[in-house]
Amino acid sequence: MRWRTAIAFVLPAFALYSVFIVYPLVSALADSFWSWEGTARTGFAGLDNFRSLFTQFPLNHQLRAAFWHTVLFFVGTMIVQNTFGLLIAVLLHERKFGKRFLQAAYALPYLIGALVVGYLWNLLLSPEFGPVNKAMSDVGLGSLTRAWLGDPSTALPVVILINAWHYIGFPILLFGAALAGQPQEFGDASRVDGANAWQRFRLITLPLLLPAIGLVSILTFISCFNAFELVYALSGSQGNQPTGPGGATDLLGLIFYRVAFQEGGENAIGQSSAIAVLMFLLIFGVAVLANWYFRRREALLT
Amino acid sequence: MRTRRLLAMVAASALAVAGISACTSSSGGSKVTLSVWSWRPEDAATYKQMFASFEKSHKNINVEFKPYKATDYNTILSTGLTQAGGPDVMQLRSYGGLQPLIKAGRLAALDGKVSGLSNFDPSALEGAKGKQDGKVYGVPLEMSTFQIYYNKDVFSKYGLQAPTTWDQMITDAKKLKDNGVTPFATSGKDTWLLPLYDDAFGATRYGGPEFEKKVLSGQVDFTDPAYTAALDVLGQLKPYFPKDMMGLGETDVQTLFATGKAAMIPEGSFALAPMKAINPNLNLGAFNAPPAPGATVDHPLEVGWVDASFGMNVKSKHQKEALELLNWMATSEFGQMVADDLKQVSLVKGVQSSDELLKQMVTDYRANPTPYMMLVDFRYGTPLGSDLAATGLQNMLLGKQNAQAVSSDIQKGISQWFKPTGG
Repeated sequence: MRWRTAIAFVLPAFALYSVFIVYPLVSALADSFWSWEGTARTGFAGLDNFRSLFTQFPLNHQLRAAFWHTVLFFVGTMIVQNTFGLLIAVLLHERKFGKRFLQAAYALPYLIGALVVGYLWNLLLSPEFGPVNKAMSDVGLGSLTRAWLGDPSTALPVVILINAWHYIGFPILLFGAALAGQPQEFGDASRVDGANAWQRFRLITLPLLLPAIGLVSILTFISCFNAFELVYALSGSQGNQPTGPGGATDLLGLIFYRVAFQEGGENAIGQSSAIAVLMFLLIFGVAVLANWYFRRREALLT
Repeated sequence: MRTRRLLAMVAASALAVAGISACTSSSGGSKVTLSVWSWRPEDAATYKQMFASFEKSHKNINVEFKPYKATDYNTILSTGLTQAGGPDVMQLRSYGGLQPLIKAGRLAALDGKVSGLSNFDPSALEGAKGKQDGKVYGVPLEMSTFQIYYNKDVFSKYGLQAPTTWDQMITDAKKLKDNGVTPFATSGKDTWLLPLYDDAFGATRYGGPEFEKKVLSGQVDFTDPAYTAALDVLGQLKPYFPKDMMGLGETDVQTLFATGKAAMIPEGSFALAPMKAINPNLNLGAFNAPPAPGATVDHPLEVGWVDASFGMNVKSKHQKEALELLNWMATSEFGQMVADDLKQVSLVKGVQSSDELLKQMVTDYRANPTPYMMLVDFRYGTPLGSDLAATGLQNMLLGKQNAQAVSSDIQKGISQWFKPTGG
């Protein structure tokens, strides 16, 4: 009886999960092993689709560059989010008044879609018509103005900053909750032992925040490696040309999109499925490893 | 009773969802509804008017125009053609973009079925042909030309005229630049424009259609010095492009030009309406770039290509009526509407645009045509020639690659799938 009840409860969710998560994943995996002509499956391709990703010029060059851009995108975003996010969270934690309001204010961009954020920043940063360059010229920094998104040396850093700006509310909330959950006694005890503020932060608060930092890092990793909308809105995507000036902001998610929907290649389904499978394996693998690592560190603490 | 009604409603809504309209015959009896798909939602009202006059002369046919978002259209069409509820007649991409549908057997060949195909030049039909079987799958709708627009008011302010020699064009550009006017409004962000810029300025350097013939037959390839030099032609013009070119999109540069901050803009015939929309008082002229230094032809060339055609779903249940519609689309009656109402360049022989500037563009193209080579000839495999050229030209203008490296990348990419016809 109890089994039957349990199954009755699990079944709806399981069915939905299978249809909307498991089936697409498995079918993408299957599609990647076949060759295609448009939407018609023409024959078993084995690993040919995967091989073509590393042999077909210029896709192979694009993938290599995009992989490293994505790594930089993740590392940059994580550094900004974990440092600034933590700093702001700690400062807010110390505050008595206006804490709620400021938390909400910082979280606000997080509630806006990435496409909208990209579009807004695109307008702000427009070299000819945007207010950013205009404001800089007005205060005498005219010599520093540039096409922020059109200059290969600034495009990716600017995209990273916008991404971090967009999502900073999330780590602030998470760190804030973790800080609020820390027992008061540890701080009090260390104060009695004569620890100064920095020592208290470094030796007590920070280690206790490790689970939160781990969580933020893993989620940032997943979202950065899947990132698409923001860069798409900022730099566009045409045919199968690397995105950004000289391909400076080309990310893995954009390559997938281009091969799947834009390039118009006959074997688009096969090749793009192969990219999707590789991306999934990479993201899944790293997320599992990182999770395991942070769990172990946590276990050492307790 | 109630269940039956419910079932009927479910069935009806399912049909509606599937987009089935083609086979619902109205209560009148034999009236046939043709479903026509397109990627131009912005033209929906105009098309409705145009089809109304078709319906007047074809009482038994009802045309239902169903536009989809241009960026989603390819996907929607390729799925739509595989199942019930697809279109009877649909707008088709050209050249390489058309081939996947032909290969998958989704389109009906029109040779011998649409007699009006004789109203088109052979070069106009080229864009609607199957690469392998040489059959025609579409009735050409419109073409685009690409040339350099200039702002007549800005030109007369500085005492300039449309240049007839390259040196004069450069002198004019220098003068404009010295006066704080951007000579050419060019976009480096919308990279698809870059190969067109190169054809607009440099086709005379590599030789236009003559070079096309040689490269298709395999006599030369893209590493040919003439082609490399033509890439460099664009690189040499960099001082006269906006400083922030790589951060500017197509609309940005259209705005620069339409507001008089730039004096010239290389753009397509399709940009005329949007630029007039930004500034209705824009006083426009157009010219083709004079032969570049070292040019292999002695006159300007105008870039052009077929943009779209209308074809028939091989599975359509109303082939007879669909062919009637396609035949009508090959008449000068329809062609004139394309020119006057859609404001596009019709390909039907003898049709003239009522817009003076468009008329001039068509005349120039017919006199001295050159193909948008990367689109017309090198989109039959991946990587697309247009993508390779766009990527390379952007790198060249950023100083990351020189013309030689760009042309060798283009050759390397294209040679993976392109086989010359021999010779």
